[in-house]
Amino acid sequence: MSEKRERTVKLNVINEPKDSYSGGKSSLCPGCGHDQISSVIISAAWENGVEPHKIAKMSGIGCSSKTPAYYLGQSHGFNTVHGRMPSVTTGAYAVNKDLLYIGVSGDGDSASIGIGQLIHAIRRNMDMVYIVENNGVYGLTKGQYSATADIGSKKKKGAINETQPIDLCALAINLGCTFVARSFSGSKKQLKALLKAAMSHKGFALIDVISPCVTFNNNDESMKSYGYVKDNEVTLHMTDYIPHFNPISEVEVPEGHFKDITLHDGSTIRLETISEEHDPTNAMQALGALHDAETNAKHVTGLLYFDNTKASLVEDLGLVDLPLIDVADNDLRPSKEMLEKINSAFLN
Amino acid sequence: MENIVNDFTINVATANGTGSQSANLILLQSLFDMGIPVSGKNLFPSNISGLPTWYIIRLSEHGYQAPGNRTDIQVLVNPATWEEDLAALEPGTVVVWNENSKLEMNREDVVSYPIPMTKIARSINPKLGKLITNIVYVGALAEILGIKQSALESAIKTQFKGKDSAIELNTNAIELGREHFRENLTKKDPYVVKEREIEEKQFFIEGNEAVALGCLFGGAQLLSWYPITPSSSLAEAMIAWIPKIRTNDEGEANCAVIQAEDELAAAGMVLGAGWAGGRGMTATSGPGISLMQEFIGLAYFAEIPSVFWDVCRVGPSTGLPTRTQQSDITLLYEGSHGDTQHIVLFPGTVEECFEFGWRAFDITERFQTPVFGMSDLDLGMNRWACSGFKYPKEVMDRGKVIRDKDIFDAFEEFGRYLDVDGDGIPYRTLPGSGMAPILYRGTGHNPMGVYSEKPHDYLQLMKRLREKIDSSRDVIPAPILREESECEIGIIYLGSMENTIQEIDDLLEATGLKVSQCRLRALPAHSEIEKFIERHETTIVLEINRDGQLYGILRKEIPIDLVPKLRSVAYSDGMPPRGKIYADLILETLQDVEK
Repeated sequence: MSEKRERTVKLNVINEPKDSYSGGKSSLCPGCGHDQISSVIISAAWENGVEPHKIAKMSGIGCSSKTPAYYLGQSHGFNTVHGRMPSVTTGAYAVNKDLLYIGVSGDGDSASIGIGQLIHAIRRNMDMVYIVENNGVYGLTKGQYSATADIGSKKKKGAINETQPIDLCALAINLGCTFVARSFSGSKKQLKALLKAAMSHKGFALIDVISPCVTFNNNDESMKSYGYVKDNEVTLHMTDYIPHFNPISEVEVPEGHFKDITLHDGSTIRLETISEEHDPTNAMQALGALHDAETNAKHVTGLLYFDNTKASLVEDLGLVDLPLIDVADNDLRPSKEMLEKINSAFLN
Repeated sequence: MENIVNDFTINVATANGTGSQSANLILLQSLFDMGIPVSGKNLFPSNISGLPTWYIIRLSEHGYQAPGNRTDIQVLVNPATWEEDLAALEPGTVVVWNENSKLEMNREDVVSYPIPMTKIARSINPKLGKLITNIVYVGALAEILGIKQSALESAIKTQFKGKDSAIELNTNAIELGREHFRENLTKKDPYVVKEREIEEKQFFIEGNEAVALGCLFGGAQLLSWYPITPSSSLAEAMIAWIPKIRTNDEGEANCAVIQAEDELAAAGMVLGAGWAGGRGMTATSGPGISLMQEFIGLAYFAEIPSVFWDVCRVGPSTGLPTRTQQSDITLLYEGSHGDTQHIVLFPGTVEECFEFGWRAFDITERFQTPVFGMSDLDLGMNRWACSGFKYPKEVMDRGKVIRDKDIFDAFEEFGRYLDVDGDGIPYRTLPGSGMAPILYRGTGHNPMGVYSEKPHDYLQLMKRLREKIDSSRDVIPAPILREESECEIGIIYLGSMENTIQEIDDLLEATGLKVSQCRLRALPAHSEIEKFIERHETTIVLEINRDGQLYGILRKEIPIDLVPKLRSVAYSDGMPPRGKIYADLILETLQDVEK
């Protein structure tokens, strides 16, 4: 009996079953895009072979920020305050750089109340994956427009939105963010490849995921509804992820053009050209693609921008190799002789 | 005329950004090195250059450190405040004034010493005239008062460490200032200084630097801060000391420093560090604490160790950013929305600044709750005599944090907020450990750390949190009592008032009133506080603010029958506390009690 069961449970590269990455039952509305993203987070972490307890799941406040309860049950997490998850993550990272920090936020959390903290985490090239579950509305407070609502879009109740949206990807590219991607909760394959690549990236990796709100913003007039995004998604390239433990020589090479990008841990993200070739190291091209999409009321998805030349926060901090929380108390407190030296230096 | 030795107040009126601070520090240091009990108060504007600045130097045989009740020697350099400063002087005051300022010396009832400060300064270096002008009055004062040349020269060397040209320039200016007085004027005043034998060697240090050193000896692992007067020098002192005492031979530090984008982010980073198992701290002032309120509530509710240093300035709002006040007692003690209560430490001396610096980390990890250190501009940014810092006797208290799998496995049931020991303090495991992972939250939770809105869970949680903080009162620093036997009147005070209390006591005693003193050093109030109130007919709660914040807190916390014994004396005009004002207010209040 038990032998048979062992054979049926699939294990990842560190011999963990996928169950080790699952979480509690979701209490979001059935069909919510956020739940799809949660399941992709589980798959990506499992397939990448990350030790579950070496992940820290961070969030702010809102529907999206509740989701860390629904994935990675073996990881510590912190559901912080509205818009302030980046600073809490930064402080945790400063004393324990060895965890993989996965932040989940929403468009209210990131584009309004917390936009300052998002900007500064990007500026520091804080080493984390930052997922925005972007639906254009505030869900938990019952459907007010957020700062990412598109011009001309209309939610289920209320007037058409006439206010210019904030495009978090364009903002991030302008700030020099080192990994900027956009995806759609309904494009699971693309999202998973991007997420796995983001986990292998050292620096700030922003993935803005359009994630329809089935309750307040999934009507036909909404530009962030399932139907609209499916019809108006412009995919930059097909994305594939080749983990470092899987030799690239054994990977089947697709026909046509493609671009391989090597990530910090030796993994590769493969971008297969669909129509026009997109060079993700070119910020102008990335901004151009976003601008074209906005002009045509489309959503462009894929790896928009990538830069692996910048130092991440940990290099700037100039700290010892050991994560600070593992430094012995005796090393944290200077010696008695040192204090005596200080006292006598002051006296003389 | 009888000499007045080592017992008078000098007030120097200059403009900000003219180098007057170094001149005044040289004056202060040289008096200190002569063994004279002396204190200096810098009254500076919120400005980089041009606005008026006063520096008050008090020499006191009694060791009084507050500004004196009157100015005995006025140095007039700043034309902007000339008339006002002059008009405020009492007859007989010595006035050392810049003859080249083109302003009139219209008082005939003072002792006038005109010194051509600008002319002398320009004769040394025309380009640096403005900067040297200030050091010229130091020379004149040295001659008038009899300050030792060797003391001045060593103070100059300390001030301009290694900058030979500056040392030469300043030494020169002092000599010319002296010479001018010697050759052109005659001493007509009674003020002199006299060298005293130094019983115990001391040094001068600012409270902020003392806190900074204390925090580094407390094993701080993250300093996250946003610049704000008067706390910036605390963070900057840490930054300056880390390479010397918290960095290995390869130049790698074991304390991280991040200058945050605002105070909210600074607080967030402190919580992140505490959540991850590190010792995180920030340094700020009242406006910063206002901005941190939401995180303070989260730290209290989710039980995250975190240290906040508040160097108070004058509120409300932007207030008087460069003046001093005990402004934030209530804000710290009851910070954030909902029912909260926080541990607050109140150092009163630079030695305690150091001690509470390291102790705050032990307390925050032991009780898993935010801990505040409250200092103020007066204690933090002025220089105080210090006999040396004492090394912590205890090893670090890291609290109930489980790092060992064997210990963890011994728990029958593990819940992040389960009160296993019945002391209100639960056990915690750290992210990355793989032991009992939970999603920390600021929402209601049950003992297992799971989201809950159940009335019973909420009630039990709030009850435990209250008991936990209550249980800290006799563990955190106890009050310091100075009691006279059979004394009817007691005074409870805190923090930087320590430096004025002796003068207040002497002033009261001169009227025939003997009082007992009780310096509260932490909140929640130690059980000794209640006993002190019980022992006295009337207890005055003395503090540097308008509303009597500590008085309000104590009224709520002592038994109701003791409340009528309490009286509030609270006063703040932004200036460092002057003994006479408070002594008079105490006498007035006691008269009301008698009525």
